[in-house]
Amino acid sequence: MEPVGHEGLGRLLDLGENLRTPHIVFRKEDLTEATDLESGGSIVVGKPFDLPPKPLGLDSEKEPYLHLSENIAVLDNASSLKPQKIVEIASKIRKEAGYARLVYAPAVEPSEMPILAYLGVDIFDDLSVELRSSTGWLLEDGHWVKNQSNDDLTSINGEELKRWLSKIRSSISNGRLREFVERTSLHNPRVSQILHYSTKVLVEKGAKIHTPIRANALSLQNPSVIDFQERLSRFTPPVENMVLLVLPCSARKPYFKSSSHKRFFNAIREVDNYLSLHIVSVTSPLGLVPRELEFCYPAAHYDIAVTGVWSPTEVEMIRRQLSRIEPETHYSQAIVHAGSSSEIMTSLLKERGLDTIDTKAERPSSFEGLEVLQNVARMSLNGTKPVNSKQRAKGEAIGLANFQYSNSDFLTTSEISGRMPYKLRCGDLAAISPVVGGFGLTLNGGKAYASNGGATIKAENFKLVGDLFAVGVKGYEGDWQIGDQVVIEQNSEITAVGIAKMNPEEMVSMKRGIAVEVRHHA
Amino acid sequence: MPEAFVPLTDFVNEAKSIPREHALDQPVAKWTEDELLGDELVEAGVAILRTRGCYWSIKEGCSMCGYFNDTVPGGVSDEMLRKQWEKIRPSLKGKRYAKIYTSGSFIDPTEVPLDFADAVMSDMKEMGIEKVLIESLPEFVNPKNFSYTNAPKLEIAIGLESSSSLVLDKCVNKRLRWPHFVKVCNSARNNGAELKAYILLKPPYLNEKDAIEDAVQSAIDAAPYVDKISINPVNVQKNTVVEKLWMRNEWTAPWLWSVVEVLDRCKDLPVRVYSDPTGGGTRRGAHNCHSCNKKVLEGLKNHRLGRGDLSSLMCECKSRWDVIKSQSSFRRNGSEPHGYRSGFSNGRRF
Ligand code: SF4
Ligand SMILES: [Zn+2]
Repeated sequence: MEPVGHEGLGRLLDLGENLRTPHIVFRKEDLTEATDLESGGSIVVGKPFDLPPKPLGLDSEKEPYLHLSENIAVLDNASSLKPQKIVEIASKIRKEAGYARLVYAPAVEPSEMPILAYLGVDIFDDLSVELRSSTGWLLEDGHWVKNQSNDDLTSINGEELKRWLSKIRSSISNGRLREFVERTSLHNPRVSQILHYSTKVLVEKGAKIHTPIRANALSLQNPSVIDFQERLSRFTPPVENMVLLVLPCSARKPYFKSSSHKRFFNAIREVDNYLSLHIVSVTSPLGLVPRELEFCYPAAHYDIAVTGVWSPTEVEMIRRQLSRIEPETHYSQAIVHAGSSSEIMTSLLKERGLDTIDTKAERPSSFEGLEVLQNVARMSLNGTKPVNSKQRAKGEAIGLANFQYSNSDFLTTSEISGRMPYKLRCGDLAAISPVVGGFGLTLNGGKAYASNGGATIKAENFKLVGDLFAVGVKGYEGDWQIGDQVVIEQNSEITAVGIAKMNPEEMVSMKRGIAVEVRHHA
Repeated sequence: MPEAFVPLTDFVNEAKSIPREHALDQPVAKWTEDELLGDELVEAGVAILRTRGCYWSIKEGCSMCGYFNDTVPGGVSDEMLRKQWEKIRPSLKGKRYAKIYTSGSFIDPTEVPLDFADAVMSDMKEMGIEKVLIESLPEFVNPKNFSYTNAPKLEIAIGLESSSSLVLDKCVNKRLRWPHFVKVCNSARNNGAELKAYILLKPPYLNEKDAIEDAVQSAIDAAPYVDKISINPVNVQKNTVVEKLWMRNEWTAPWLWSVVEVLDRCKDLPVRVYSDPTGGGTRRGAHNCHSCNKKVLEGLKNHRLGRGDLSSLMCECKSRWDVIKSQSSFRRNGSEPHGYRSGFSNGRRF
């Protein structure tokens, strides 16, 4: 059993012999009935495993939710439990079942399989499909259509079901399971409710994978988006009382690399004391992206159709993001140069009581637009307290480090040098890394992180070359989500830092698979 | 005992604690129905007395039983019981067979006072009633509770529900023990009573297939000790565990085909085995598809009254029932998707 991919709470497991989860079992081939009411029968997943007894006399809404045999954890009633309950159970699946058991949800509709896989279910069966096949319904892309011909629906639907599962698996390996789930939710109220309620647990426990987001209306609920938005309240501008400059987002990410943002920068760098300008881009679905956070996932990894029209939900989202950075207390003034978003941004900033100037440039990066920007910037900066580049660098580092770590002193008490975007460093502890999406820890940074209570994985004593495999993991301290930076300790020495590829308990219980993708060795 | 039941009964207990307003001088209901007396078809008079109700229901109660909805927690005075009896009497005139139910045990002296019971029995005897059916939990089936001065032939119906202690404990929540059941049947018979057993078909948690097996096995087990067996497909009564599970879609009422199968597999037993499904043909009771519910219920009635057999019943939905039976054990509960019995054809919800 080797985890080869994660998304949300779901996992792609390689079980050997061409067998991967999420997997589908067929009643006639893979399931054996119990011989009496006290036993559970068996299931074949590569080889036969006992199932736990049926949940006689139990209340499905009370813990424990899963019924366990040695190798299988059954999530009964997955197709009928209330959406909130399903989500609550999902948040407890691994606590009850561990990682070594396969989680099986019987009698689930195909349309609900993607979301349940996203929430951690490994095994499904064909029971629902069997009932539909026997009543003349054809499975088409997860939906049921009435079939008029006399085709052998059992085998046709069985094949379609296998394809459906293989789509789920390939979605996980491409990091596109959420997209798949969002698609199935469009015409399925139950799936969309479950998805809606799962945001919190996905933010808190889901794997952080850096797939580009192809944004749509549902992306406002995307856990990476929510996580980014929530972290913004930890962010502070580099220096107090700077002038906030609100710019539009760009199609190219990170924004500072786009031609429009290059032109904005070239225009403002000619202004005296331009280091007192702080650039924040306005965008959907993320809301506000300060320049320091442009590498942070998903700021550099999303695409959205820009229409220039803000929906009421989006306006509300921007308002919430503004309340997280409290511009009225941190900035002396704001300049809004955001094209079609200018009007709404100006009014939202004024709403918070910040002195705000709208450049009113309809085409912000046009020659005329840049000229207006330059003039307004010159006016606003005239007389403000100068900011030097050392001060500015320090502030940038603190803003970014706070965004990444709730307690970031271990990084920011070091000697800060360089400037955003590429050269910013925290002494010999961390440097900007587009791959990590922010500060990437060096080995020394790892040591500082570990002694600061950071996620530390204790590995067996061997010469670590390349990545750390689960089989070498003995234990851990601290907590992390897949995708976070972690430190590896061997024999009480920090020997490497890297990115977690498994959840904490998972590393300990798995015998195969990469636990940490190592970035720096001792 | 099965602690697991307690959580689900929370809401039942809540329902039980709400005061019920009932007219104490009125019986719960009375009606007449066709019944066999020996081999003779007669019209039986039936009445349900309003009483304090079943002692077990006050303590915990069975998962499928909503009888407490009709009871009076504080008890009903002798005087009121007599008033109820006055209202029942006329409907028994000229009848040879009577069924006098309470929502509990007629021979529990704390529920129905012995004096009153004795008077009622004498009255019926004088009216010419030949046989009277009453119901009781086994714990009250003790000759001292039914040694009436003058009474028609007594038929005691006991809710055995299942002969499996696992089913009784985990699914029904009834503290009945098989050896005790056998003991009281024998003693009642020795004291001149006839015995009838109720057996449940598809108590909550059981799936269609396990339910059929359990009912058949229970009937086979009970047959030597009783004179007839009524197969009672579980129906959804108000404020019960069953209703909760049903509303959660974790259990559906059994198919009428399952009733037919149980009866067919019991046809060679030495006692009459029949069924009169409460709420049959509705979503809350045993049902098949829309096109055959009436027909099958009619067939069951004829079978019950000895007027026909069940082998000729047929419908398109029977093959669906075969499929659900073959997979029901893997579903791990008694559930079934809405609309399956009618092939998911639009509009109708069975
Ligand atoms: S089924 Fe009978 S024993 Fe059980 S609670 Fe109801 S009346 Fe009492
Ligand atoms: Zn039918």
